[in-house]
Amino acid sequence: MNEEQRLAGELKERTYRLFGRSLHIRTFDSGSCAVCESEIRLLSSPYYDLHRLGFFFTPAPRHADLLLVSGPGVRAADTALLKTLEAIPEPRIVLAVGACALGGVFAEDELVHGRVDEVVPVDVYVPGCPPSPLALLHGLLVAVGRLEEKVEVLRFDLREEATA
Amino acid sequence: MIHAAAICLVAGAAAWLVGVAVGTLARRSGGVFGAATASATGGAAAAVGGVLVAVHGEGAARTIGAGNVVGAVTLRLDPLAAVFIAVLGIVALAIGLYVPRYHHAGAGSAWYLPALNLAFFASLAVLVAGNAVVFLVAWESMTLFSYLVVLRHHRRAGVARAAFLFLALGETGFALVVAAFAILATQTGTLDFAGMAAAAGHVSAGWRDTVFVLALVGFGFKAGLVPLHIWLPEAHPAAPADGSGFLSGLVISLGVFGITLFAFELLPDGPPWWGILTMGLGAVSAVLGILYALMERDLKRFLAYSSIENIGVILTALGGAMIFNAYGQREIGAFLLLAGLYHVVNHGVYKTLLFLEAGVVEHTTGTRDMDELGGLIHRLRASAVITLIGTLGIAALPPLNGFVSEWLIFQGLFQGFRIGNNFVGILIVVAGASLALTAGLAVMAFARAFGIPFLGMPRSRGAAAASERGQPLVGPGLLAAACVGLAIGAPIVLTVLDRVVRATSGVEIHSRLLLPQLTVIPAHTDFAAFSPTYLAVFLLCVTAVPLLIYFSSRPRGATQIVPVWDGGILEFRARMQYTATTYANPTRVTFDELYRPEFHLERASDDPAGRSGPVHYGFRVMPIFERFLYRPIVRAVERLADLVRPIQSGDVNLYLLYLFLMVLVAYLIYTY
Amino acid sequence: MLWFLRGIRRGVVTTRYPRARDSWAEQLPTPPAFRVDLLTPELAARLADVCASGALRLQNGDLLLDLGSCTGCGDCVAVGGEAVVPSGEFELASRDRAALVKRIPIGERR
Repeated sequence: MNEEQRLAGELKERTYRLFGRSLHIRTFDSGSCAVCESEIRLLSSPYYDLHRLGFFFTPAPRHADLLLVSGPGVRAADTALLKTLEAIPEPRIVLAVGACALGGVFAEDELVHGRVDEVVPVDVYVPGCPPSPLALLHGLLVAVGRLEEKVEVLRFDLREEATA
Repeated sequence: MIHAAAICLVAGAAAWLVGVAVGTLARRSGGVFGAATASATGGAAAAVGGVLVAVHGEGAARTIGAGNVVGAVTLRLDPLAAVFIAVLGIVALAIGLYVPRYHHAGAGSAWYLPALNLAFFASLAVLVAGNAVVFLVAWESMTLFSYLVVLRHHRRAGVARAAFLFLALGETGFALVVAAFAILATQTGTLDFAGMAAAAGHVSAGWRDTVFVLALVGFGFKAGLVPLHIWLPEAHPAAPADGSGFLSGLVISLGVFGITLFAFELLPDGPPWWGILTMGLGAVSAVLGILYALMERDLKRFLAYSSIENIGVILTALGGAMIFNAYGQREIGAFLLLAGLYHVVNHGVYKTLLFLEAGVVEHTTGTRDMDELGGLIHRLRASAVITLIGTLGIAALPPLNGFVSEWLIFQGLFQGFRIGNNFVGILIVVAGASLALTAGLAVMAFARAFGIPFLGMPRSRGAAAASERGQPLVGPGLLAAACVGLAIGAPIVLTVLDRVVRATSGVEIHSRLLLPQLTVIPAHTDFAAFSPTYLAVFLLCVTAVPLLIYFSSRPRGATQIVPVWDGGILEFRARMQYTATTYANPTRVTFDELYRPEFHLERASDDPAGRSGPVHYGFRVMPIFERFLYRPIVRAVERLADLVRPIQSGDVNLYLLYLFLMVLVAYLIYTY
Repeated sequence: MLWFLRGIRRGVVTTRYPRARDSWAEQLPTPPAFRVDLLTPELAARLADVCASGALRLQNGDLLLDLGSCTGCGDCVAVGGEAVVPSGEFELASRDRAALVKRIPIGERR
């Protein structure tokens, strides 16, 4: 456990050093309904303002550090998604956002994979349908190591005392 | 030195006559090679001779056979003509080196190569003519032999018509030139050029104006001045590539020579409106030339319109020179004349180069249509580099020769404020602005003309199958080297041209042209300065130094070679690229009122996405000069001919009556 | 007339996240939380049936909540009555997909 914690800490340290204050994000829509995209778009609005955190959107994968994938992994977009990922220079982070991308909304069939981590290796999963801009910000900050993951310690089973 | 020059020119002429004889043997490849060698040798000799005369800076003349029936034959070595002789020499040399790999032995070559050599000989005769008769005979011969050159592939569709248009307009121009010489000769009493120049001051202003306008229009037909230019876009694609190079590089420059002959030698010190007229026509030609060039898909038609544009630029410079001279600013006038001559030399070099390369492209891919070419830079590597040098030259990009001569022209025109008359100053500014518009459009046009055929992926099987084996390289390569040399060696060229201008107009501007540090100044020290040589060195360093740094330092970390980012598409196909038509579409939309194109659109069905079959789209620019100028004139002439036709009834008795009436009239005139 | 002073009048509207949470954030559509004392096996089976995206599943007598698949539609909250409430948790990002699957014990009584 100590070794794992140490390695996790080191990884967090390295990512924070590389990307902590300046991260360029390239979004990719792998067949989503575009609601995730509108939440992503809201990140640029004055209310959420991701620029104050040092995050920027870029259309060019060559300039990007992070690939943000939404949608259930439509097979027709496989080539484009893989090419986009390969065009991002390492070190790079992959974020899957939305219930579709995490699997569970669409079953696998001849048109979709159902989950994007069958196509690209995913580093951070952000649930939600759609994930609100605050959830997206949380996910991005977790990805660069500026925030700790919370979900491990969250409990969704309540006892009587909890409702007090 | 002048004797050496004369010997060189005689040697050149002799070489070309030998080429005529050898060319008749061109049914065999030995004949082709021999005729080409003779052309090239003649070209080299003529170029050397021309440069020697220009450097010598003084003219000389000799009259042969005075006092016989036909008239004396006067030949002269004139520095102004020598510049054009040098251009002729370089063009002939390059064509001579190009011909063996371009023309096949056979019956066609057996009359074509003698005609080509005779055209060279006749052009030289035009440039060494010392009196009006020699000039006119040589001019007409030059037109006729150029006509034969254009007719090389006379069995192909459209060639005969194009050649006929060339001849018809050439003869119209010739008629006007004959009229000009006739009037000037009768008013000055002599046919000799030196005599005419000396006596021109005594001719009345009305006659001088008439002669100048006749000469401007007559030579304008040959030079390709708008609206007298319509033969150019037809004749250049019809002629073989070396013929087009000759036409564009030299023949239209001979039109310019004719205008300079009248404007600066025979009738110097004309009123300002001569210069304004010339400059106005030049500016219009420049702008319209490049605008129509942008709409062309055929490489050779495109280059033909570009020639019209360049002639416009040259005549703007010459017109400006005449205006400055008329208002007493003789240094700037001489400077602009020098700039115009520099541009003539440059145009001769790079336009010939581009036409020769267009011939190479046509030969190896089978098409001249830009929309069917592509990717030639991988298949024709050396030719692509040579073409690139020529394209950079003609687009007037530093540090090449086009940039130097256009800089000179602009700097001359910008000094219009030194003329007292504000209205004329504004006209000069407008001309300068037109040239600036032209230069910008020219960069776009040549980016298109080089980019679409040479870069990207091939758009047709012909383009994909292109190969450089067996294609001529030495001739065009020589011209590319000349482009670079004319730029870096600009101080030398300017020194020589300064001597020419001094001999022509009597004004010496050497001290106000070149500073000791290889810097060029436009006739005034406090206006502008620029060094072509140092600019070339500087640009070389700017590109070389980062490359040196990159190659000398070892990059840290592993280098990955990854595919080019293409947007993530599945497969890149040639049809996804820009075509020449779409690249020029913004211009077409902007200048829609000028082009007034007719569109036609064919679809296999009503599906707007074209999924059920191909969609054909085409457009044709309205030919405004043919429709609104030439066709009405031709119809009027035809109607007039119809009115007169009844005279030729075919009845012998009527003809006898005509004879009787003419004798009666002659008798009456004689007695009274 | 003083429209250009609107920004000054309204003050800073940007959220302070992550330094401070917005008060309204809990009312976003979020995965459910379960009152395990009120949860019966029958109710659990009904909830698993009603879940539109299959985030709620029965396994070995426990209810599995896949946070990754939950769309926050609220059908389970509507059906479950007092046993199911919206959790108000939206900071659910994780590096591990398996960590997003939560086990809800059924019918535990303290």
